[in-house]
Amino acid sequence: MTSRQFLIRDLLVLLAFTGWTLALPFYASEFVVSMALTCLMYVALSSSWGLFCGSTRYLSLATSAFFGIGAYTTAILLGQFSWVETIAIGAGMAVVVAVVMGAAVLHLRGTYFAVLTFGMTELIMHAVTYFEKTVTGTVGRVLTVVPERDTIYLTVLALAVLAVAVSIVVRRTRFGLALMGIGADEQRAQTLGVNTRLVKIAGFALTAGFAGAVGAAMAVRWTYIDPHTVFNPFIGFQTVLITLIGGVLTLWGPLLAAIIFSVLAESLRLQFPQIYLMSLGLLLILCVLYLPGGLASLRGETFKGWWNDSRDWTKDLRRELSGEKEREKQRLKRREKESHFV
Amino acid sequence: MSEQVLPLLEAHDVTVRFGGLVAVDGVSANFVPGELVGIIGPNGAGKTTFFNAISGVQVPTAGRLIAHGHNLTGRGPHRFAAHGVARTFQTPRVFPDMPVAANIEFGLKFAGKRRRKYLFWGDEVGVPWALRDAASILSLIGLSAQAELPAAAITPSQQRLLEIGMALATRPKLLLLDEVAAGLTESEIEEMARLIRRLRDELDLTVIWIEHAVTTLLRHVERVIVLHQGRKIADDTPHNVVRNPEVIEAYLGDEMAEPSAEEEEVAA
Repeated sequence: MTSRQFLIRDLLVLLAFTGWTLALPFYASEFVVSMALTCLMYVALSSSWGLFCGSTRYLSLATSAFFGIGAYTTAILLGQFSWVETIAIGAGMAVVVAVVMGAAVLHLRGTYFAVLTFGMTELIMHAVTYFEKTVTGTVGRVLTVVPERDTIYLTVLALAVLAVAVSIVVRRTRFGLALMGIGADEQRAQTLGVNTRLVKIAGFALTAGFAGAVGAAMAVRWTYIDPHTVFNPFIGFQTVLITLIGGVLTLWGPLLAAIIFSVLAESLRLQFPQIYLMSLGLLLILCVLYLPGGLASLRGETFKGWWNDSRDWTKDLRRELSGEKEREKQRLKRREKESHFV
Repeated sequence: MSEQVLPLLEAHDVTVRFGGLVAVDGVSANFVPGELVGIIGPNGAGKTTFFNAISGVQVPTAGRLIAHGHNLTGRGPHRFAAHGVARTFQTPRVFPDMPVAANIEFGLKFAGKRRRKYLFWGDEVGVPWALRDAASILSLIGLSAQAELPAAAITPSQQRLLEIGMALATRPKLLLLDEVAAGLTESEIEEMARLIRRLRDELDLTVIWIEHAVTTLLRHVERVIVLHQGRKIADDTPHNVVRNPEVIEAYLGDEMAEPSAEEEEVAA
């Protein structure tokens, strides 16, 4: 397929996905719709995370910081501003924080970057807690004006679709190419004319904007929010895990994994919460070991390869157990000795 | 000087210090359009560090860098690229997962920062015909047959050529080549040297070429800069450089006395 055909295919898939999720509230039960909402939230978070962190290989753990900033914006401003305005401001606040944070830490790579973004998230959380305690004298806030459930659903759906659409578009632009180049070899990209600093900050801010908007929209699901709920590092970790398992470099991987996860989470969490977390960890390990490209890189050949690998492995094991391998070694040794004498 | 040509790149007292180690110690040099300059020096003489400094990869501790009248001291490599300074790396650093052609296109995509002007569709003013698109650059460096292969799949010597192609894709005025002939066979080296001369002659590029194998280099360049322990000890024609006592001393003082014997042979 040519690049244009890929674009058309991706847009069609996105359209179908949008149609299906739009129709969901009309026929599905309340439980399914609430599950779909969580799912859409993670689609938006992980698609936008993969857009920057996947292609540049900068592992950011700051998603929960931006999510929390968005949520707090809603808690403070909803009522004074309209719903859409609140979300836009939430996203804007996250972008501002991301630009500042990015300027400070984006020259670091690998573990240092990951740890620093995590540290900054904690810093922001504690700063908000401190502010609440000393200045406003509260811990947490109660949301009194809450929009209708359908409004929330549609908003998060729109954000998820927008996140995927932006990923589709960015992949085809110079900006997306620059992000890829930074991931492959940052210095080389620089010497080829990429202003890596600017590109990195812009990409980080874009990711943060989505996280902030999602946080602003999801805040109203809880009627009471406090720093520990909305800055929960688990939101950031889960985003990273979903994207890694789905396939960081792929377009549809994060979406696929987000769906699988939400279903797993909702169906297991109530009865067996430990099993949910364990299966999450197990899946990650299996993916890293046997499917580095993520779930979205699964093809027919992948299974064939696994099949061949396991066949070779059992063949080897059988030889080992029957003692054939040992005998062969001795034969080889004897032959070597003989040839030595000759 | 009788003729005043504005140098493409001026390095004034460039110094690079790593902690207590002075890798490059106050090196000044001018590079005027159309030159083919070689930089030689024993191991650890600071050749590559000097290259890193004049391509913006390493910000010098002291000194100034001026590209065609623009002060670029302390700016990032992309600014140098925008002012027409392109480089290759000692060990090829191509984008391994991308096809060869896409590697070239990467440079082309970001080269356009220098105010593009179009004559007709896609015909850019001032871009040499040989550098107009990925296909023409690939045929120039002789990798047309490998265009669709991933860059990780071609041989190391082809990756070296690809490195040059990627640098050319930024439409440079000054091309910095870091040991492009290292590890090549005799005939491949000749091929490489011919390519470099062609780039200079046909595309009017200024080329600065570092090589550890002195003989090869001296045969092809018109001016040689010799670095020794971070200092510039000579800047002259190959003919004069091999007769410079300080240069002979530097090479004889080094364990490898061999290169200077080769130099004599070249001079003869």
